[in-house]
Amino acid sequence: MAEPLHSSQPKTFPVKPKLKPKPRTQNQTPESKYWSSFKNTQIQNLISVPSLTFSPSSPHPFAAAHSATVSIYKPQNDPLDSPTTTITSFKDVVSSLSFRSDGRLLAAGDLSGLVQVFDVGGGSAAARSALRRLRSHVRPVRFVHYPKLQRLRVISAGDDALVKVWDVAAGDSPVMELRGHRDYVRCGDSSPVNADTFITGSYDHTVKLWDVRVGDSKPAIEVNHGNPVEDVVFLPAGGMVATAGGNSVKFWDLISGGKLVCSMEGHNKTVTSLCVGRIGSGSDEELNQFRVLSVGLDGYMKVFDYSSMKVTHSMRFPAPLLSVAYSPDCKTRVIGTSNGIIYVGKRKIKEEEIEGRVSEKSLFWRIRPLEHTEKKVFRPSHFRYFQRGQGEKPSEGDYLIMRPKKEKLREHDKLLKNFRHGEALVSVLEGKNPGNVLAVMEELVSRKKLMVCVSNLDAEKLKLLLVFLRKYCTVPRYSGLLMGLARKVLEMRVDEIRGSEALRAHIRNLKRSIEEEIKIQQSLQEIQGIISPLLKIAGRR
Amino acid sequence: MIKGGQNYVSSPPAFSNDGNRVLVCTGNTVSIFSSSTGLQVSSLEGHTAPVTSVVVVPATDILCYCWTSSFDGTVRYWDFSVPETVKKLDLGMPIFSMVIPSFLGSPEENNAKTANVFAYVSVHDGKAWQIRKCSLTNYRKVGKLVLKETERPEPLIISPSGKFLGIKHKRKLHIWKLPRVESDVAVAKKITLHHTKTITVLAFHPTERTVAAGDVTGRMLIWRGFGTQKFLDHSGSNNRISMNDGEDKHGVRQNDDAESCSVWHWHSAGVCLLSFSPDGAYLYSGGTEGVLVLWQLDSGKKKFLPRIGSPLLYFIESPDPSLSLISCADNQIHMLKTPSMEIIKSISGIKPPLSYQEICESFSGKAAFDCTSGLVAVQTENYGIQFYSLLANRGVYEVQVCERNHQPADEVTVAVTLVELSVDGSIMGTVEIKLPEEGVGGLVSLKFWDLDSDTKRFSVSTVIYEPHRDAHISAIAFHPTHRMAVSSSYGGDFKIWVCKEGDIQQKGQALQNSGWMCHAVGSYKNKAMRAATFSADGSVLAVAADTVITLWDPDKNVLMAVVGETPTPIVSLAFAGKSEYLLSVSHGLKPRLSVWSMSKLAMAWSYRLQIEAVSPAIDSSYFAILALLPESNERAFKGNGIILLFNATDPVPVASMSVTKAKGGGLAFLKGDLSERAVIDGKTSQTLLVYINGDREYVIFDPYDKEGHELSIIRQDVPLEETGQFGYSSIYGELPKFDLQKDKTASVISTASERPWETIFTGSTHMLPPLTKLCSVFLESLLEKRTALAE
Repeated sequence: MAEPLHSSQPKTFPVKPKLKPKPRTQNQTPESKYWSSFKNTQIQNLISVPSLTFSPSSPHPFAAAHSATVSIYKPQNDPLDSPTTTITSFKDVVSSLSFRSDGRLLAAGDLSGLVQVFDVGGGSAAARSALRRLRSHVRPVRFVHYPKLQRLRVISAGDDALVKVWDVAAGDSPVMELRGHRDYVRCGDSSPVNADTFITGSYDHTVKLWDVRVGDSKPAIEVNHGNPVEDVVFLPAGGMVATAGGNSVKFWDLISGGKLVCSMEGHNKTVTSLCVGRIGSGSDEELNQFRVLSVGLDGYMKVFDYSSMKVTHSMRFPAPLLSVAYSPDCKTRVIGTSNGIIYVGKRKIKEEEIEGRVSEKSLFWRIRPLEHTEKKVFRPSHFRYFQRGQGEKPSEGDYLIMRPKKEKLREHDKLLKNFRHGEALVSVLEGKNPGNVLAVMEELVSRKKLMVCVSNLDAEKLKLLLVFLRKYCTVPRYSGLLMGLARKVLEMRVDEIRGSEALRAHIRNLKRSIEEEIKIQQSLQEIQGIISPLLKIAGRR
Repeated sequence: MIKGGQNYVSSPPAFSNDGNRVLVCTGNTVSIFSSSTGLQVSSLEGHTAPVTSVVVVPATDILCYCWTSSFDGTVRYWDFSVPETVKKLDLGMPIFSMVIPSFLGSPEENNAKTANVFAYVSVHDGKAWQIRKCSLTNYRKVGKLVLKETERPEPLIISPSGKFLGIKHKRKLHIWKLPRVESDVAVAKKITLHHTKTITVLAFHPTERTVAAGDVTGRMLIWRGFGTQKFLDHSGSNNRISMNDGEDKHGVRQNDDAESCSVWHWHSAGVCLLSFSPDGAYLYSGGTEGVLVLWQLDSGKKKFLPRIGSPLLYFIESPDPSLSLISCADNQIHMLKTPSMEIIKSISGIKPPLSYQEICESFSGKAAFDCTSGLVAVQTENYGIQFYSLLANRGVYEVQVCERNHQPADEVTVAVTLVELSVDGSIMGTVEIKLPEEGVGGLVSLKFWDLDSDTKRFSVSTVIYEPHRDAHISAIAFHPTHRMAVSSSYGGDFKIWVCKEGDIQQKGQALQNSGWMCHAVGSYKNKAMRAATFSADGSVLAVAADTVITLWDPDKNVLMAVVGETPTPIVSLAFAGKSEYLLSVSHGLKPRLSVWSMSKLAMAWSYRLQIEAVSPAIDSSYFAILALLPESNERAFKGNGIILLFNATDPVPVASMSVTKAKGGGLAFLKGDLSERAVIDGKTSQTLLVYINGDREYVIFDPYDKEGHELSIIRQDVPLEETGQFGYSSIYGELPKFDLQKDKTASVISTASERPWETIFTGSTHMLPPLTKLCSVFLESLLEKRTALAE
């Protein structure tokens, strides 16, 4: 039982930076790691982007509406600045875009009330002029949509509160006109499971589910969101819809007749757009992990897990956000802002995921060439004769004698172990991690060698130290040691610093950053002075 | 009464003849440990003063006799297998060291002279330490002949051949060649070797006339061929002298009688340990820096066993060549596997008190007691905490508080200043400080540790850097029931910490996220707070703010009352059990023990005593104090301290005991269920008090028991029989038992089954049993066995 052995065994203690307080809740859940793995690039110099949509067909280009222009980008291109196709045949601001389910046609509505259909499959030239011009709306069109399971029809709606269904092949007049909304219709979506049903959301606070087979201007289901509805989206199973209006996103169960399932109130300003996102790409289990991405005028993008009713990730952008879209292959996420920037988040898919797919496809062709199966027997004349059996794996019953594991020491630990204190300090200063620098400094202090090290630094290394001090001596976690050290350095090396212009510049910078810190401290004290009487009064009650 | 915590390293230990036992001088007794398990087997009790040396009589493995000498002036002869005293000689003078040369050397010589055994002893005759000779077989008196007088006692070193005796004396080595035939009057010839530095240790080569010595600067000197002129026979010496005159004696100081002297230097601080290997090819050396160095004598090549962590004192070879033993100054005896130089086992005594007590004002060398499991936690020199079982009298384990290697020779810059255990022993709080270098980089950190319920070991739960900014922590106290702690600082505030338990379920695995957080901060007029304690039910927190006591509600952090005033700052507080009385201790010019009544918020009574430690009994209103007696009173009592037992309501002590070495001592009551294991004369004692003195020796006794019954422990059965392997088996493992009577079929048939012919061909062909064997089995199986039916 008594095993004091461990205490007497030689141990090395590498210097470690001080522990940081762990947040109570883990800030980096696997999910938020996933969402922050989208690397943002920007497409700038546009005018506000009210609509973004991904082509359903690979390689999933996306179309962005900005001003009277529609640009189609390929997310694979790097850099993204130049669109592959630009369509400019609009008279007014484009408000809404939609790809057909095969990705070859693009419908666009503009504020002049015109809905146009373009051929985007044939390249840039073909898209210049519209295949169809569907004119019937008298007020601006706000919503155009190609149903997900229908290739022939287009749904459109606009400020005239009318929802129109068009047969694109047939011609210029709408097949159906649905009157039911009493205010601007701003959004809609088609069911992913049924070709005949779709929903629209309007500023009259309602979301209506329409069935084109009925066609009597009576919605099948109607739900009241309570705020002007900015966007609606069907969830992938088709039984639920998410609606965005005001500061909230609400989830409705259509199968049970339009019951409110839950409401997400995470945004501080109007939620402008929704889309369905998916985590991962591959195994079936992960396919079910759908999330709703919402963006709002407060500049936040939030990821909502509607199965657990939790916001699982939240991200801030520096401008009001108007539109969001998520590519079906889970590689790209685009967000359009009101000041004309598109944030394109691209995720690198791991090699193995891609490879896995390739191998599945071409499995059939991968028959290996016949190999020599007999083992080559080496003769003593061959040098490999003497190396035979070295790569042999141990079998089950073998008793393994492992070589004692060598402890991996970092550069500064090795130097400290050899009592090369000055070099250890320099090596860690050249590194990136301020925590390590502090740890080495503390170790040197406990060996009573820090002052000697500082006094022995040559001018070049002294510069390194001064740069480090300027950068970190006002950081509260490090200032305890670094402030004292800075003072000591100045005292000890005053002659060199006077002599060198470069060092003096560093000292000036150091002085500036300390002055700044003092200013902050003073203002904080002022605030404390204001608050503390209030707290006292509050405490008395 | 249970005594424990003895010093194991006061003098060199010895191995028994078979190498299975280690005899260690532990105060007035000699403890015998098993070398394979490291646990105590028995002890030799009888001496009335510390035992100074133990010499095992060399004989066959079975005989277990030894001689011991002690400061009480007696030499005893023991049969330590029983164990009992066989013979006792009274020399009448304190003996510091004893060697018996005739036990060594070649056996046939021994046999010739067994009639007469002489010992050389270092005794004190009232003025100085003298080296004298005495006969152990027919003892009458210590020999009159004084070989040497020294002011300080010097250990006697005997050469492994038994021919030479040496001592170090300041900067000299004195070496005697012992007479071939010992008698009371035989005179030994003596030479002296000189050095320029104070010599700390010496060792003789087992076969050659070579002596090694270490000095305080870390140098080692090796004189070869000492005593060529004086010790050799006269016939040959004439030639030698002429030869030596011709060649210069390399490295030997002017007139010293040696052929050559070489100096080796590796140790950075004084050499404490020197020992030649039994074959004389290697030399072991060790010093203050705690590194054992193995020198190859011919080439001077070195091998190291680094970071033992404490100054090395003695190195003893066992009869088994693969095992040896190092004694370290931190009261540990390590068993060393010699060729590979690895520590395989340790006899772990309680670690000695720290040498750097005066490092800062917040330093407290007080031990913390775990009353429920009978453990004491003491700070160790290597920045750790040792947990020592009071009842089993051995070290249980250690935890490392600061992650640093301890270099005994270095200046102290890091220290564990405070250790505190919660009442149930499940939480530990430690405070460590880093001293700043020229005002830069000092750090105080507070650590909370949780007891792992499976392994019964502490592991770090929370680290708090600079809990009270740069102010040092004066005390930690734990809430008796909740997971709450308070730390008070000299900077004038105290903080209440609570442990938040929270499990975050993340992907199936429970991620324990428990940690200590600051719950509240309090201060009283910015006065330095030196002590804090919770009441027995945890509803009141008492914090000493300089000279007054402030009472707080720990949950709401509301100041409830301020009590009284003492002339000097209060340094310690304790509630007297479940009673309404609070004890305060203040030091300084006007030391005082005050008892405050909480119901009246006033002082009940007080004594003007220098109090070292206070311990309230857990269940009753009794409490015990350890008071230091003023110098003048020391003669009236036996020791320099006194333990007084009070009832809180009554200023008249219930019981008192005088103790020695009270400075730096501690007191604690052990809990009832634990003391059931300790039995006093057949009846169990409900309350036990532990007193641990300044040297960390402790005694456990029943304070209410006036008669002072002997308290004996029902010791858990220690596996006495060693399972260690020696010689051939230690290298190649146990040979399989060779049994001639063994049934041969059993060794041949690979699978034993009812019907062997079915499985027989699964084995390899050479394992096939002969047909004749098979046949009988086969036929037997065809024949139905009816024996069972017949019965």
